[in-house]
Amino acid sequence: MAPDLADYKTDVWVDWCPGCGNYGILAAMHKALAELQLPPEKAVIVSGIGCSGKTPHFIKVNGVHAIHGRAIPYAMGIKLANPRLTVIVNGGDGDLLGIGAGHFVALGRRNLDVTVILHDNRVYGLTKGQAAPTLERGLMPKALPRPNIQDAVNPIALALSSGFTFVARGYSLMTEHLKELIKMAVRHKGAAFIDVLQPCITYNDIHTPEYYRGRIYRVEESGWDPVVKDPVERRDKLLEALRRSMENGDRIPVGLFYQDPTRDIMEDRIAGRLPSYLANPPAAQKIEDDGKPVITEKIFRRIFAAYFVKTE
Amino acid sequence: MRDEACLIIGGPQGAGLETTAQLLTISLARLRYGVISDREYFSNIVGRHSYIHLRASSIRLPRSLTYPIQLLGAMDAETIFTHFQDVERGGVLVYDLSTENKAFDSIPSMEKELVDRLKRLFGELGVDGSIKSLVSYMSRERGIIAAGLNYADLIASFAKRIALPAQQASRYVSAIVYGAIAAFLGLNQSSIEYAIAARFRGRDQIISINKLIVGEVYQLIRERHQSPVTLAPSALNQSELMVVSGNDVVAMGKIVGGVRYQSYYPITPAADESFFIEANERIEFDGSDIASIVVLQTEDEIAAIASAIGAALTGARAATCTSGPGFSLMVEALGWAGINEVPIVVTYYQRGGPSTGQPTRGSQADLLFALHASHGEFPRIVISSGDHLEAFYDAIEAFNLAEKYQMPVIHLLDKFLANTITTMLPPNLDNVRIERGRIVTISSGAQKRFDSFEKLPPRFVLGSGAIIWHSGDEHDEWGHINEDPENREKMYRRRMEKLALADREIPEESRLSYYGEDDADVLLVGWGSVKGAAIDSIEELGKEGIKAAYMHLRILSPFPSRLFKKIVERFDAGKLIAVEHNYMAQLAILINMRTGAKIEKSIVKYTGRPIYQNELIEAVKRILRGESRVVLSHGP
Repeated sequence: MAPDLADYKTDVWVDWCPGCGNYGILAAMHKALAELQLPPEKAVIVSGIGCSGKTPHFIKVNGVHAIHGRAIPYAMGIKLANPRLTVIVNGGDGDLLGIGAGHFVALGRRNLDVTVILHDNRVYGLTKGQAAPTLERGLMPKALPRPNIQDAVNPIALALSSGFTFVARGYSLMTEHLKELIKMAVRHKGAAFIDVLQPCITYNDIHTPEYYRGRIYRVEESGWDPVVKDPVERRDKLLEALRRSMENGDRIPVGLFYQDPTRDIMEDRIAGRLPSYLANPPAAQKIEDDGKPVITEKIFRRIFAAYFVKTE
Repeated sequence: MRDEACLIIGGPQGAGLETTAQLLTISLARLRYGVISDREYFSNIVGRHSYIHLRASSIRLPRSLTYPIQLLGAMDAETIFTHFQDVERGGVLVYDLSTENKAFDSIPSMEKELVDRLKRLFGELGVDGSIKSLVSYMSRERGIIAAGLNYADLIASFAKRIALPAQQASRYVSAIVYGAIAAFLGLNQSSIEYAIAARFRGRDQIISINKLIVGEVYQLIRERHQSPVTLAPSALNQSELMVVSGNDVVAMGKIVGGVRYQSYYPITPAADESFFIEANERIEFDGSDIASIVVLQTEDEIAAIASAIGAALTGARAATCTSGPGFSLMVEALGWAGINEVPIVVTYYQRGGPSTGQPTRGSQADLLFALHASHGEFPRIVISSGDHLEAFYDAIEAFNLAEKYQMPVIHLLDKFLANTITTMLPPNLDNVRIERGRIVTISSGAQKRFDSFEKLPPRFVLGSGAIIWHSGDEHDEWGHINEDPENREKMYRRRMEKLALADREIPEESRLSYYGEDDADVLLVGWGSVKGAAIDSIEELGKEGIKAAYMHLRILSPFPSRLFKKIVERFDAGKLIAVEHNYMAQLAILINMRTGAKIEKSIVKYTGRPIYQNELIEAVKRILRGESRVVLSHGP
């Protein structure tokens, strides 16, 4: 029987603050998974630490709630060992772009087929409102004792320059739009990134729903075609996507900035070296035969022949 | 003729020293000699002094190195200045005549401390500081045969006869040194040709050039010198030997043990292991793929362990490989593997710390760190191997124990093992078992990954068809966050009791070994790379009438407390000696924690050089004469 929306929900109580932007992200994820008809046992949601880190407990697919900043490398290990799984990362702005920024860049370089959803509320919520790496300099959300002294990182520009081949932005209060982005990202073959703007009702009194209302517009409505159809288009499309990523004032674009399905993914690069990798990935390989290693004495001697010296 | 010989080959890093040592080891193995060799080098790519210390035996597979040496093969002047004091009276020096006018205080790569020590020494010895004067002192006062060859002239003369591109010529210095040493040791022509063919497999031109140079230098030496260091024909009867480094053999063990995901971030002295596995990532046999191993160089060590954990959650046997600085970064994730009962293997090659410390030198200073790293309490297994063959089997057992007991396993090794090349008896794969514990690869529906009904719950894996959750937060049986005190107590206790279960089930006899006579009255206690020097030393001490034994601790967690206590109770407290490569005698501390026994005597070394048999024997005698602590320091 095909799973419906209810099948993707757990009975774990969702303990985010009432009005939290995360509810919109969670709703969009539930719907996206249901509409994709993704078999729950073949999907894995990996998260880091913080409010967003709890996401996997609320979704009835496999969940790996990892440590702070490291959701991406956990996801990489899962995907590389079993490329048949659909792997989605949910992480906060501090998690993915602060403590875990190196992994974010590395995932782009590898273009592994993993989707990363950034919960971008510009503050560290669970530790009571400190500045996140996406908070602009000079701003002082209510928990900060002094205005933020560090500049913000631009998540879209960073993803584009790191090599992500699907780069989009959503808004947690535009659930239907976000759901569609998530579906596209999951379907995309390669490293996909969605920067999801979300209010933090408790600690961010600047980037409120009122702040976003009137600023947000859909980038697709401006006539932008973000999809690379031929590798020769890469440079120009990337530059235009970067230009659009700089828009962050009175007008904030959401939607798909860039998609390049022409670049090879990590799994195919590995399969180029290991021909049976996709058909028989590490997780599926037999390593023993009735308790004996599949590398028998005979095979051992053959593969390591160079290390044997026959004596005179 | 000698039963055994020790020698050092030295030269600037990058000059082909390893090639010489490999050729020599292969030819010695071909003639059934047992060989062990350690490589000592700076953290440097080209230019700094590096050397290989090798022991060859016609009567056994040697386990340790010792001083003095009988032969010094010098590629440059620094080698002679650094090692001349270690050459035995009547030994041999092979050196480059064109270095004769080099002075010890004009070599920029030599560290100031050594120059200062030599200045004082040369004053006492009446040496003017040049190689010429030093060599003449060595032959006059110490009866050392100085076999001088002009390396550059020799190569130039070969270059006239064969096409030898000028920029490649210096590469053949290693062939000259090899030819000279082979002549002094009395190796036959066929073993030399075998070694060259094996080392340069498939590169015919290089093989023929090497054969020519080695052959002629060999003849030259035989014509000019009587050799005091000719090895007696081997009394060993092995029909084959393996020639392997520690990195090689651990990688082989992992491959046999079923590793299918290995992650790493480059670090000395661990990275070669991952290169080895990557070079063997695809294992084909009779036209089909037996194994496809994913080896990933990650962006840092945190990603290395985190991705290995991810891979392990899918059921693949997964490991990472590092040294101290890398392990320091891994410890947070190690705790996650602990609370989530993930069977990962961390292969940990210790080097000199703290911080960058001595990145290319050996150490055993991370025992307590490996045992306690990461916050909170969780069970782990720590295995440390004493030699190459042990390391091979342990690399396999590490996976078996990790999967069986559903916990991280640290395979604790060190730089000494990593870079020691030795002749090893081929492992016997008949007795190797792969035990996967309670892994569940086919299932369906939501499952309790942490079912508390049993100590070792069924281990559902991602992709098995089950739906499972994991969390670094304390969790309930489903893996969901849970802070209920009764749940906490239940989950915590079950995790911790797995170690007690492992302690009951893993035979203590496999966790420690006793070498020596039952009625010994001195007991050395050690772990890891100490094993070779300790066993060789108790044998020698026995010949001198000192009945000493060695207890080797192989599994440090769970610690074999009962057997340990049973063995030590018949020794006088003053006759227990901890032998370790660290300052604190960390094993002695661990023993005290686990058993209450106090080991009051210690022999320690923390210069980063191996413990040599000669110095260990001497140190044991000093302890028996009443000293309580001996700090070893031999080796440049």
